[in-house]
Formats: sequence, structure tokens, C-alpha cells
Amino acid sequence: MDFGLIAQYLANGILLGTMYALVAVGFTLFFGVLDVIKFSHGDVLMLGTFIGFTAWLGLEAIGIVNPWIQLVGVLLCSLAGTALIGAAIANWLILPLKKAPQLNTLLITLMLGTAIREAVRLFYPNGSNPKAFPALLPDASVEIGSFALRADSVILVISGLALIGALNLVINRTRLGLAIRAVAQDEETARTMGINYTLVVLATFAIGSGVAAFAGIMNGLYYNEINFGMGLILGLIGFSAAIIGGLGNLYGAILGGFLFAGLQVIGAALLPFASAYKDVFAFAVVIALMAWKPTGLIPERSSDRV
Amino acid sequence: MAGIEIRNLRAAYDKADVLHDVSLDVAPGKITCLLGSNGAGKSTLIRAILGLTPPNAGTIKLEGEDITGLPTHKVIARGIAAIPEGRRMFPKMSVTENLRLGAYQVRDEALIRQRLEKVFTLFPRLAERRDQLAGTMSGGEQAMVSIGRGLMGGPKILLIDEPSLGLSPLYVKENFRIIQGIRDEGITVFLVEQNVRQTLAISDYGYVLSGGKLVAQGAAADLASDEAVHEAYFG
Ligand SMILES: Nc1ncnc2c1ncn2[C@@H]1O[C@H](COP(=O)(O)OP(=O)(O)O)[C@@H](O)[C@H]1O
Ligand SMILES: [Mg+2]
Repeated sequence: MDFGLIAQYLANGILLGTMYALVAVGFTLFFGVLDVIKFSHGDVLMLGTFIGFTAWLGLEAIGIVNPWIQLVGVLLCSLAGTALIGAAIANWLILPLKKAPQLNTLLITLMLGTAIREAVRLFYPNGSNPKAFPALLPDASVEIGSFALRADSVILVISGLALIGALNLVINRTRLGLAIRAVAQDEETARTMGINYTLVVLATFAIGSGVAAFAGIMNGLYYNEINFGMGLILGLIGFSAAIIGGLGNLYGAILGGFLFAGLQVIGAALLPFASAYKDVFAFAVVIALMAWKPTGLIPERSSDRV
Repeated sequence: MAGIEIRNLRAAYDKADVLHDVSLDVAPGKITCLLGSNGAGKSTLIRAILGLTPPNAGTIKLEGEDITGLPTHKVIARGIAAIPEGRRMFPKMSVTENLRLGAYQVRDEALIRQRLEKVFTLFPRLAERRDQLAGTMSGGEQAMVSIGRGLMGGPKILLIDEPSLGLSPLYVKENFRIIQGIRDEGITVFLVEQNVRQTLAISDYGYVLSGGKLVAQGAAADLASDEAVHEAYFG
């Protein structure tokens, strides 16, 4: 195999890993503060991407065509809208079910995800067909031998990693982050310290959902296509990544995201004749990993949250 | 000065009644203790005051204002702090972070630092271990963190649930001395304990709870020689 191909796989893996990590941290944050698996996460991500896409259509319609301004507009609408949706789901669906068995929350968010997906398919104009997502990033690329380094990939990876870094700072260095970690470790004692529990849960769901929307926009900008089903596979991968990393651990989720992307890339490289099987390969390895380490690579003790 | 006034309080978990018609006063600037054996309902009373287990009936007043059923963060905002049963560390956080959480509602960083220094003066051992994860500390050290954390918010009233639980006699003695010091600074203390003799020795007034009902009350000195107290425990 030549250098160009390896570099291509590597660049692809880093981009996918960043995207998956952004989805996985949401699962980890939600599990941290509420002990719930929110299966609608991927579909909320899809909805957020469609909000961004709609914002772009709106900007085009009113004649704002500068791609950088469009990009800022798309991100602002998508992230803010998705954050609000995430907080709303937490407030009206997940918090009220707090005393119910966890399985109920799982089932209800699974159904919510399906409802969101079907609603976009049925009610978004021509929603059952893929949409061409605009290429808002510069399409320049640098040739290094047989490898073409795309400027848009570099920008996406750097901004995605910056977002992961910022999230880490929020969790580990701010007052809100202190409250989120306190709630994750011991909800009742966190309340006793004077923390407004409901507010912290809503903020956590807003942050986790907004970060996932960023991954959705990344996905759109990179593949220049979005569709109503994109959240299903991204959600499943993000969930697997969070589980591989040891659910409830922020670093584990990031590691899991990159590990899954690595597996996909290795799958694609090993099976060049049939790269469509890369997901089969990646999920098969995940199953094997889970059989080997049932609690994840960075296992959590019951007190080891976030 | 502050005080708590509880009237006809009833509390229950699901369907099991735990507190029946409890009425008591926590006098400002004093140590008021609540004695009772395991399962009497002492912690439930504290949880009711904190809004963690909202009561089914009755009222809780703080400085004459009704706080019954307020969400916990609003109760804390009124100047109450708690040292929970079993100390309840945030195990994956450092000593300093645990202490800072005690001052979660304080926005003035200078004040937080000043209180941190005060806690470190009170417990020099915590100063040495300020960056250690609380979960890796000994029971005695965790008790220090827990007491320090209770003081970080600058409370008017401190609720303390069984501070001597699981501690060696030396630590127990030290803790009671510190609780006395807290009272002497003007903080109202509501102390829940099973350790009758030592608790009454530092308290001003006491109540005895048995099976969710108050069975005795009086000045601490009088309670120490009261038959009902002994009966509640050994009867
Ligand atoms: N979370 C709970 N759910 C159901 N019952 C409880 C709960 N906590 C305490 N109880 C019951 O309430 C009664 C009083 O408990 P508690 O207030 O903890 O007593 P104490 O602090 O005096 O030992 C006990 O019978 C106990 O079993
Ligand atoms: Mg108790």
C-alpha cells in the first residue's frame, strides 16, 4: 500500500473519530447526570442538521451568499435550536420519567427518535430524499505526493477538536462543570450543596445536544449530503463509542469515538474490494471488545461519573 | 439569629409513615439535639427540612417564614447547610473541590478563598491534602471535609446528621469539640445523634424521637438523667 492511501485513510479516520467523539460525549453526559440512555440522541442530531440546512436555505433566500456568514448562521441556528430541543426533551420527557424504571426511558426515547425521524421524512419538503448540503468551506487542497489534504477536512477536524477541548474545560474548570460532576457523582448531596438539580440537568442536555448538532453539520459539510436517516447510524456509533469507552467517562467516550473510526478505516483498508463491509467489521470488533471487557475500556466504578 | 420551628410534621416514603406529628423548635444560637435509635426517623426529619423528602403534612418555618416543601436549593439559599449522614463525599473530586461545592451559592471568590483558609486553619490536615481525591481519604479525614464543606456556605443554621457514625472515639471527641466551637461563633446547630452521653454534654436542649414520635424533650442537663431517654433506647 502506498503512502498516499495510508495518509488518506488516516485523515479520514481522524475526521470520523472527531465526529463520533462529539456524539459519544452526549451519551456519556446524559448517563452521568441522570443514569439514562437517551436513544433519540442521533435523531435529535439529524433534526439539528436539518435546522442548519433550513437556515442556509433562508439565508440564500434573503440574498446572503457569503459562505463564511452562511456558515456562522447555519452553526448558530443549528446548535442553539438543538440545544433547546435537547433541554425540552429532558424537561418534558426524561425528568418526568425519573422515578420510572430505566427501561421505560430507554423505550420512550427510542420511540421519540423514530417519531422525529418519521416526522422529518413526512413533513420536511421532499423529506424522504437526500438533501444536497452546501459546501461552505473552501475546497482547496494540498497535494502531498499522491495524497490530497483537503482544507475543509482540516478546518472540520480542528474545530471539532477545539469543541471537545472547550467541553472539557467547561466540565473541569467552570462552576457549571463542577455542578454537573457533583450531580453525576451524588445527586442528593449535590442538591444539599444548593445546586439547582433541574437546571443542571437541562443545561447538560442542552450542551450534549448542541455538541451533537455540530457533529451533524460536520457530517453535512464533509459529505455534502444529509438525509432523515443519518442520525440512526451516527447515534448507534456514538452510543457504541460511549459504551466501549466505559459509559459515564468523558475521556472514554472520546477514546471510543476514535477507536470506532479507526476500526472502520482498518475495515475499509483490509477489505478494499468491499469497503461497504467496514461497518460490519467495526461492529463485529466492538462486539468482541464488549465480550472481552464488558464494562468498557475505562470501566466506571459506580462513583466514577463524568 | 435564626431558628427553625416545626409543627405537626408528617413524612412518609411511598406508603410507610415515618414521622407522626412531630413538633419541635431549634433555638437560635444554641445546639439543639435530636436523639433516637436506628430507624427512629431522625434523618427523615433532616431530609424534610432540606426539601429532599417533602413532608405530607405540617409546617417548617425558618425565622418565621414558611419553607415547607421548597426545593432544596432554595432552602440552602435561606442560610441552611447540612452535614449529611455518612459524610457523603464527592469521591472523584479533590478536597478543595468538595469544599468549594459547600460554597456553591457563594459568588464572591474572595469570600470563598477566605472561608477555604478558615477551614484549612481549623483542619490543618486538609490543607496538606487539599488536592487529594476525597474518595481515597480515611473516614476521619472525610469527616473533616464534610464539616468544612458544611461551613463553606457561611450558614446561619447547620444541620448535622450523626457526625460520630463509624468514627474512632478520638475523632468523635474532636468532632464534638468542633461543633461546640461552631455554636460559639453564633451558628445555630441542629444535631442528630445516637451517642446520648456526649451529645447531651455539648447540647443546650434536646428531643428524643422513637418510632417517628417525640417521646421526651428538655434542657440537655435534665434529659441526661431522664428515664424516658433511656427507655427510648433500651426499653
Ligand atoms: N429512602 C427510603 N425509602 C423507604 N424507606 C426509608 C427510606 N429511608 C428511610 N426509610 C425508613 O424510614 C424509617 C426512618 O429512617 P431514618 O429517618 O433514616 O431513621 P434514622 O435516621 O433515625 O436512623 C426507617 O424505618 C427506614 O427504614
Ligand atoms: Mg439516620
